[in-house]
Amino acid sequence: MVEVSVTAEVAEKLRALPESSAISMRLKSDQYFDAIQGMIDRFAIKKDLEVVYVTSTIPSQSIINALEVLEIPMEHIWFVDCISQIMMSQEKRHPHAIIVESPTMLENIMLKVEFLLRRVPDRNALVVLDSINSLAIHNNTKILSEFLHILVNNLRSRGAYTVIFSMQEYETEEIRNMLVLVSDETIELGAYSGS
Amino acid sequence: MPTKEHADGERERCVTGIDAIDHILNGGIPRGNTVLISGSVGTGKTSICIEFLIRGAINGENSLYLSVTEPTDKLLQNVIPFDFFDDRLARQGKLQFLDLPKMYEKLGIDKEDLDFDQTRLLADTIASLVEEQKIKRLVLDSVTSVCYRIREQERIRDFLLRLGTVLSAKGCTTLLVSEIRSSEEGYSQWGVEEALADGVIVTGNLERRGDLLRTLQIVKMRGTTHSRAKYVLDLTTSGVLLVPLLKGGSVAGGG
Repeated sequence: MVEVSVTAEVAEKLRALPESSAISMRLKSDQYFDAIQGMIDRFAIKKDLEVVYVTSTIPSQSIINALEVLEIPMEHIWFVDCISQIMMSQEKRHPHAIIVESPTMLENIMLKVEFLLRRVPDRNALVVLDSINSLAIHNNTKILSEFLHILVNNLRSRGAYTVIFSMQEYETEEIRNMLVLVSDETIELGAYSGS
Repeated sequence: MPTKEHADGERERCVTGIDAIDHILNGGIPRGNTVLISGSVGTGKTSICIEFLIRGAINGENSLYLSVTEPTDKLLQNVIPFDFFDDRLARQGKLQFLDLPKMYEKLGIDKEDLDFDQTRLLADTIASLVEEQKIKRLVLDSVTSVCYRIREQERIRDFLLRLGTVLSAKGCTTLLVSEIRSSEEGYSQWGVEEALADGVIVTGNLERRGDLLRTLQIVKMRGTTHSRAKYVLDLTTSGVLLVPLLKGGSVAGGG
């Protein structure tokens, strides 16, 4: 029996899905950076996708630092950062990061995603929502469901992949129902071991 | 007002080039319409108007911006650096900017208040300019400032009717910028403007739990069916972008 790494598992499962897929990725906190690596380095870059990474969990600069350590090229990776501003973070802003003032400004998140995708109309894209749990801290279920419904359908019509992170430790029944409603597939990490 | 119709009875459209607005209007503003674009400060009125003109000029339609309140040199320094803007449009005369105070000067209008004859002279001069330059898109920023000098409601009505009728006949689609206070009811300072306009587009600020969102709503547009829902607006270097206002976040009586 061979343990499959989280990085390889994420890449393999995403590669099996067609374009326009909306995927809920259920992961544990200790799988977080491995999942990002698998999704961006092993999947998106190999498929030559434009990546729009919406972060409301940790500042974009922290993720960028991790990507730089892994020597992942940033050329086609863009961030919509909804958390740095409310944290009053003094960190310098990366040229590939756009700030949304607060994770409650869901419409502005959609607008920034739209803005970034419009700049590259001929490229296929992967849009990552990190995470549904942190967005749920700042927004009620009703508006969050509406946001996901509009965003995912819009991305689907563009042929983009959507990956929604959900941290298993912080999931509620409401979040699970919401994800079922908008996702085509659910990937639960570490649920199997390959042989 | 005379307007062109397609064979199927549909009015010919002036495709604004702002995708979301064209989508809301089912293809664009009916050509020749005079549209009031109304809102308080900082809500994106001027940016929308400038994009409307640039997109028109790119599409081969001569476009003219008449500035009343701000010299165009200053305006252009502060306008969003749109990715699609091309200097050549101005050099080729496709995109023109004109300060209305200079027109007042040429016409010998030196008094603060415009009398009946001067009001007519102003409307006729703008109409002649549109005809001579074959202008297909016009922005008057702002009609409120012009009306301040006309003052009398009857004369304002005469000015707007005269201007609207002539411009429509020439197939010129016009945006009249209306400055209102956020607390104000209605869409214009004098009330006459919104009654005479073929369309009313309202921009505003919506405060929701401490966040301030820019919004846009088309409340009236003659000659087409359209959504009357409220949208959230972003002013970007790629142009004006809109997404639907999320209803789950509506506040009672909000914005």
